[in-house]
Amino acid sequence: MSNVASIAQAPRQTRRFDLSGPVFLSLGVLLSVLVILPLFWLLVYSFTTKAGSFTLDNFVTLVTDRAMRRSFGLAIGMALGVGALACLVATPMAWLVARTDLPLRRFVRALVTASFVTPPFLGAIAWEILAAPNSGIFNNLYRWLFGLDSSQYLLDIYTFAGLIFAIACYTFPFVFTLVANALDRVPSDLEDASSILGGKWLTTLRRVTFPLVLPAMLAGSLVAILQALTMFGSPAILALPAGFHVVTTKIWSLFQYPPKLELAAAASIPLLLLTILLLRGQKWILGRKGYTVLGGKSGSPMITRLGRWKWLAVSFVLSILCLTVIFPYAALLKTALTHTVDAPLSWDSFTLRHFHFVFFEFSATRLAMFNTLILGLLTATGVTAIALVVSYLVTRRSVLGAPALGVLATAPIAIPGIVLGVGLFLSYANPTFRLYGTLWILLIAFLTIEMPAGYQQLSSAFKGIHPELEEAGRILGASRLKALWQITAPLLRTSVIATWCFVFIGTIRELSATILLTTANTKLVSVIIYDLNESGDLGAISVLGILLLLVSFTVVFLASRMPIGSTRFQPRG
Amino acid sequence: MAFVELVGLTKRYGPIAVVNAIYLAIEKGKLVCLLGPSGCGKTTTLRLVAGFITPDDGEIQVGGRRVSAPGASLPPEARNMSMIFQSYALWPHMTVFENVAYGLRLRRLSKDEIRTRVETILAATKLSALAERYPGELSGGQQQRVSLARALVVKPETLLLDEPLSNLDANLREEMRFEIRRLHDEYRYTTVYVTHDQAEAMTTADMIVVMNQGVIEQAGSPEDIYQRPRSEFVAKFIGGTNILKGKHTGDSAVACDGGLVLRCGSGEFRSDAATAVSVRHHDIRLHEAKPAQADTNIVAGTVVRQTFLGSHRDYLVSIPGGEMVRSIAPVNVAVPAGQEVWLHFPPEFCRALAH
Repeated sequence: MSNVASIAQAPRQTRRFDLSGPVFLSLGVLLSVLVILPLFWLLVYSFTTKAGSFTLDNFVTLVTDRAMRRSFGLAIGMALGVGALACLVATPMAWLVARTDLPLRRFVRALVTASFVTPPFLGAIAWEILAAPNSGIFNNLYRWLFGLDSSQYLLDIYTFAGLIFAIACYTFPFVFTLVANALDRVPSDLEDASSILGGKWLTTLRRVTFPLVLPAMLAGSLVAILQALTMFGSPAILALPAGFHVVTTKIWSLFQYPPKLELAAAASIPLLLLTILLLRGQKWILGRKGYTVLGGKSGSPMITRLGRWKWLAVSFVLSILCLTVIFPYAALLKTALTHTVDAPLSWDSFTLRHFHFVFFEFSATRLAMFNTLILGLLTATGVTAIALVVSYLVTRRSVLGAPALGVLATAPIAIPGIVLGVGLFLSYANPTFRLYGTLWILLIAFLTIEMPAGYQQLSSAFKGIHPELEEAGRILGASRLKALWQITAPLLRTSVIATWCFVFIGTIRELSATILLTTANTKLVSVIIYDLNESGDLGAISVLGILLLLVSFTVVFLASRMPIGSTRFQPRG
Repeated sequence: MAFVELVGLTKRYGPIAVVNAIYLAIEKGKLVCLLGPSGCGKTTTLRLVAGFITPDDGEIQVGGRRVSAPGASLPPEARNMSMIFQSYALWPHMTVFENVAYGLRLRRLSKDEIRTRVETILAATKLSALAERYPGELSGGQQQRVSLARALVVKPETLLLDEPLSNLDANLREEMRFEIRRLHDEYRYTTVYVTHDQAEAMTTADMIVVMNQGVIEQAGSPEDIYQRPRSEFVAKFIGGTNILKGKHTGDSAVACDGGLVLRCGSGEFRSDAATAVSVRHHDIRLHEAKPAQADTNIVAGTVVRQTFLGSHRDYLVSIPGGEMVRSIAPVNVAVPAGQEVWLHFPPEFCRALAH
């Protein structure tokens, strides 16, 4: 009988054991511990006295204490300033790069990415080298040019304005990228439609193009504001010498002797709420209907000829790049290779002393580099693995309640690093866990901080793989695991590697949470840089900074060489 | 005996029964089309048969084995079926050859046999020259044929097709319809074909199952479905028709508003409410003067719109009672809009519909 024969031909069925249940449960527990535990202790501490009874005093202090109030006010002012400055600089730049015949457009985009990769605290230190009132390179040049005495200076980075500037240098890429992408996507049809109705070039720009990218501008600025608000490194480096606190440095100071953990917990709560509010706002702006461009095919973006304005545009873009990338990098390089910051550039002042000091004399660096490497590898691998499984469960909805995992994995995006640092300290630096002073507490922190980025990357990768690809394997006789391994895994490979690299870079530059969780035995490169800044050892900092940048750029380069856009693998329609 | 049998098959998402207690028996070697508008439950039914989802109630039997039942379903890989997906679902990281060979490799056939069988099926689907290409390098029609070859090469007992032609352009779609029927006649597997295109269903199917809102409206041969629809939905969905409503007045007559009385040659009447009468566009005779022969099945109306379509003229006529009737007339019957015409509905083409 042919019927029997064809049944016998069906692939051998191996015993199936459905793993999705246990996997789902253990991931749920893990993510809950990562996200909910620190927040829980944060809340508990903020509502208790030192003795452990319920109180609202901590919050009363937040409002009544003048220094506390001032730190919140300054932080918000600083964040708004950064948002405005970033938007002001990034929008015209994005337009020039995306929509005009500006020369060297690709080069400009690459350099903006470079300022993305630069850790903001390193940028702040570079600007210290450039514009500290006494020793800053610009001020030295200024005095030398005009023959002034040493009390005179042109620029002072240790000011509120200086702080805003130094942070904006490394947050404007958020606005730039969003606006440039939006401009890339706005099809020329929309602008042509305006021109055909009689709109002049400027009218079209003002009435059509600009409103279309407005949401991207606002959303980008909100991200910049959020970054500035929750940033620890740059304010600690620039605001403390200037004699003022922002909220993040204030929280950190509450950890110094004598520690006021309850107050630190209470101060974290408004910061957490502000973050959630800003993220909601951003989502609302980007999610509004009508701004997504409707309709199918549309021509390439309209390119405006700059004509005689070209050189003005070039000098604008170049000066921005000088301020954000070229000058700071040059300053770091010079400081790394000369005896002192104010030594002139000559063969006499050239030295490799700082390299020798960092790599061979200063005992802390080797440990810190080792720690950073270990944590980077563990975090990148851990986050990628967890995010991979979570995004599979969520996008394929194979388990009831899987979307909750996605929410948990995304939630840490709303927890600022320093707030997480406080929460984790309260959760694990107690006699029960005794994780303070170990690398474990840092690993937990990094896993939590990087989870949203990893999850978002991988779940969009999963969404890009049609479920029918897997189903086609199933119906032809592959078990679920086999279909995953033979079909989904090869298609995901490049995204997985890119995610890994992304998380690795994020980890090796983290400072906000680390600063509260690190001890002498668990120093990281970022913390060493911060410590060396306190002791004024700029040469050694520059060496470490250059090392950090080199590693980051190498990883970015490797990740970008992955054949993600390979046309061979692109399925059609 | 039926080879694939759906017994009271039900699938709910929340409170909504997407597939609601379906009974269907498919004989071995037949090609059955599940036809219906989007959201009618046809794709869900197909995915239930494939085993991608498990039913909430009822069961599916294939060749006498129970393959699906609540809580006890075989996984898709154990059903010896093949499926052609709407998106083709070709694996972009494998060549055409590797795509087609995948199912055979899972069955642990020898290298030589895999090669022979893949080459045979690639020849049958006119793909031999493209064996080493990647799916991204193929046109839509070629991708469709690879997907067919991949499904057929494993000689499945049951072949499932989920709107396989909806991504193709019109010319190619017509060609592929006949191609699918030809391959079916050649290999004779039991086939379930899901589509929303009635022409596709007419050309390919042995049996058409019209679905609507999770239930089967009617199942039968293409002629059956077209000529003897049992419900208003089927009559309208297949082929397009005029629906006139009125009261059953005894015998086989239905009295509509505006004095039109229709004698119906076939169908079922409804006593408790208005009976619908279906008359297809091209079955209505359009006259410029009142025809002498009859006093029932005839009505005067006003031409609202008349369109010349080369082979015929398409009329829209408004009749007393407010109904609009579409009718097709030969090119030489040319009445301009606004004029009066007489419409004759021959009783043999009037079908009463109780549902």
